[in-house]
Amino acid sequence: MKISLTVNGEKRALDVKPETRLLDLIRDDLGLTGTKEGCGKGECGACTVIMNNKVVASCLVLAAQADGAEIKTIEGLGGKDKLHPLQQAFIEKGAVQCGFCIPGMIMSSKKLLDENINPSEEDIKRGLSGNICRCTGYVKIVDAVKEAAHKIKSGGEENV
Amino acid sequence: MKKQSINVKNKLGTSGKDSDKYFRPESKEELKKILEDYTDELTVIAGGTDLLVANYKNLYKIEKWLDLNWLDSFKEIKIFDDKVEIGSMVTHERLDKLDQIKEHFPVIQKAAADVGSPQIRSRGTIGGNIVTSSPAGDLLPTLLVYDAKLKIISKDGERIVDANDFFTGPKQNVLGDGELVEKIILPLEENKSKGAWVKVGKRKALVISSISLALNLVFDNDNKIKDARICVGSAAPVPLRIEKAEQSLKNKKIKKVNIAEIAQIVSDEISPIDDIRGTAEYRRKVAYNITKSALQEVINQ
Repeated sequence: MKISLTVNGEKRALDVKPETRLLDLIRDDLGLTGTKEGCGKGECGACTVIMNNKVVASCLVLAAQADGAEIKTIEGLGGKDKLHPLQQAFIEKGAVQCGFCIPGMIMSSKKLLDENINPSEEDIKRGLSGNICRCTGYVKIVDAVKEAAHKIKSGGEENV
Repeated sequence: MKKQSINVKNKLGTSGKDSDKYFRPESKEELKKILEDYTDELTVIAGGTDLLVANYKNLYKIEKWLDLNWLDSFKEIKIFDDKVEIGSMVTHERLDKLDQIKEHFPVIQKAAADVGSPQIRSRGTIGGNIVTSSPAGDLLPTLLVYDAKLKIISKDGERIVDANDFFTGPKQNVLGDGELVEKIILPLEENKSKGAWVKVGKRKALVISSISLALNLVFDNDNKIKDARICVGSAAPVPLRIEKAEQSLKNKKIKKVNIAEIAQIVSDEISPIDDIRGTAEYRRKVAYNITKSALQEVINQ
């Protein structure tokens, strides 16, 4: 069946099956492989994207449910030429080890900072509680989110 | 699945309505029509946070989807003088963040905040939590301590069921074929009430409760306990009201309550099992401890 949605600001129309997940649509149909599939059961957060301003596990959303939705994936934040402050901060703070969880971590962080640019450490931990890093690098990830908040605040609007 | 490059411009399509396997009614009339035509074949999806996990890798086997996410009327929260109605498609995130819920039903707000993760709370719904009917469903004990009623609809009509009578066993309830929970009705108490919520699990986030407890005490004008409700989750086949403990609390001032005695009653009255989230023995001990801490929390409020 046909659906249309906006992904990273670009309007897309696709044919999906009822059982196609939003994650499958993003990775397989659109080729946006920054979004990862870890557990496929909503526990690891590697597939986190922002859908209509909410963080969702894209493995637990049907593509058909995203009809008309606005989706933001890691590719929509920034690229090699111009990194988003979150991406820059994750690199600077050494928050990335194997990297598999990072797109999801960054999308959850993005949502967190969109709502609260002055998060406490507890706010950050709660905001990232749906994202698991199995390299166990949470300390640096929390540092990176703090640093990104600082960058965004000092860099003004154009950085966001 | 067909691969497409990012740069391919797709032809804009119409909508997700054009499949005979996926239905997304946008009004109650459309919903009733679909229920009339396909009652036996439909799999209902609310937030999907349980359904898509339970059917992981087998989603293609689902014959016909009925998606309730497009029914705006199911997402409403209405506040009346004597009650609040919460649509079954209201998410945990909204229950956590809405001031009205925090003000009138703080125990529900706390339990909703403890569900899963931001990703789960943004999608999972109160109705889904109810209909899934897991003994570990975090909102269920909180609904019972506020004396919730459920409005159930079907193609033939509607009925109201006490939340306390809704659950019949693990993942079992009184819903018949083609019946849906439309809204949750919570009476507004005139008297002052105080409550507490305790959830115990192996982690702080994204965890299925090993045991949980909801407490709500209503006080009369003399500050005596007029009404007491205690409900324990993950400690019996259904969320369990501990009526014996509730009776012992009634007509007493909270400071005169023998907390250890109430905690012992709760520990004795539950019927827990051994499973991966804890042994029965562990659950009885923890039930004792969390009853004490919940009562203490209310005393300190």
